[in-house]
Amino acid sequence: SAAPLPLCPQTTIMAVEFDGGVVIGADSRTTTGSYVANRVTDKLTPVHDRIFCCRSGSAADTQAVADAVAYQLAFHSVELEEPPRVRTAARLFQQSCYRYREELSAGIIVAGWDPRRGGQVYVVPLGGLLLRQPFAVGGSGSSYIYGFLDATFQPGMSRSQCQEFVARALALAMIRDGSSGGVIRLAAITEEGVERTVLAGSDLP
Amino acid sequence: PMVTGTSVLGLKFSGGVILAADTVGSYGSLARFRGISRLLRVNDSTVLGASGDYADFQHLQQLLEQMVIDEELLGDGHSYSPRAIHSWLTRVLYNRRSKINPLWNTVVIGGCQGGESFLGYVDMLGVAYEAPSLATGFGAYLAQPLLRAALEQGRTPSREEARELLERCMRVLYYRDARSFNRYEVATVTEKGVEVEGPLTLEANWDIAHLVRSVL
Repeated sequence: SAAPLPLCPQTTIMAVEFDGGVVIGADSRTTTGSYVANRVTDKLTPVHDRIFCCRSGSAADTQAVADAVAYQLAFHSVELEEPPRVRTAARLFQQSCYRYREELSAGIIVAGWDPRRGGQVYVVPLGGLLLRQPFAVGGSGSSYIYGFLDATFQPGMSRSQCQEFVARALALAMIRDGSSGGVIRLAAITEEGVERTVLAGSDLP
Repeated sequence: PMVTGTSVLGLKFSGGVILAADTVGSYGSLARFRGISRLLRVNDSTVLGASGDYADFQHLQQLLEQMVIDEELLGDGHSYSPRAIHSWLTRVLYNRRSKINPLWNTVVIGGCQGGESFLGYVDMLGVAYEAPSLATGFGAYLAQPLLRAALEQGRTPSREEARELLERCMRVLYYRDARSFNRYEVATVTEKGVEVEGPLTLEANWDIAHLVRSVL
């Protein structure tokens, strides 16, 4: 997809942990200025079987970093002879994002499931710090929903509650943020696998 | 600097040093990460508190952790003294500034080794000094005068007095620093080692609000 304006993470992305996995979600709009270059973008990018990243910021930067991390993870996984840890993936993202912090415009949420620690969400925002959180939001649309998130989030939600939480949050952000829109892409990552859904038009909460 | 931490306070007392810092990482004016730790236990005799860019602090954290591990591996019973850490950090930060690529942090190092307590400051320009009380960021304007007042005439506060004074300073900072938060951590270093308490919550007093009314 085309690269949006620099330093303008035009997206809403979100990830929530639950016991047994994670739910991730994103909008589907990529803009160049105010033109919608791609209205059906997929911002939920797999870097391994059970590890995804949600990308915000420059499409070029995040795709490049995600590609590099996916390669490193694949190699690492073969050496390890087991699925890589989500924390490893997050750390790989952080290493690139921190080292090249002056050149990159990438706000990334890494989320997935591994056999050791179950569902985990890590955030690597602009600047390249690494933090694990029970849930994370990113992108320009995220500003509009901090209030909603603070008021609504409860720890210990079930998978379906998480999916509803993410869908509602993204829908609210997409209404208000001109840089977010289109459809809501959701994915639930668990030990069993990755289940993707698309909420469009009338399905939107 | 992207995600930043605000003030760090440090105060020497009779028997050691106390550091305090709130637990928020601000993304500009947004209080984005509300449960992060800005105090780092380096080893049994040293604590480090950082304000400024949190990613750069995490980088320092990694460097320091590795240094401490490497030193343990030597197995000679020695560990880095607070003064040594301070000196090393000064060199690192000054070198980065000289390459016009600073680590955007202001750091307070507190420690206690051999019965002697240490409190040092280093910032992103490589400016470094020691003092019986320290404060970074807003704290330098609001808290430092309060801390210094307690140290007048060469007095050394007791641990309880120092702890109370720091809490009072953190409250003032919460009132007046727009980038602060009412949850904070405290690290105390004595001969016995490092104790990190937190996250603690500050109670704010808004009584004076009732005394004020808008009048045209």
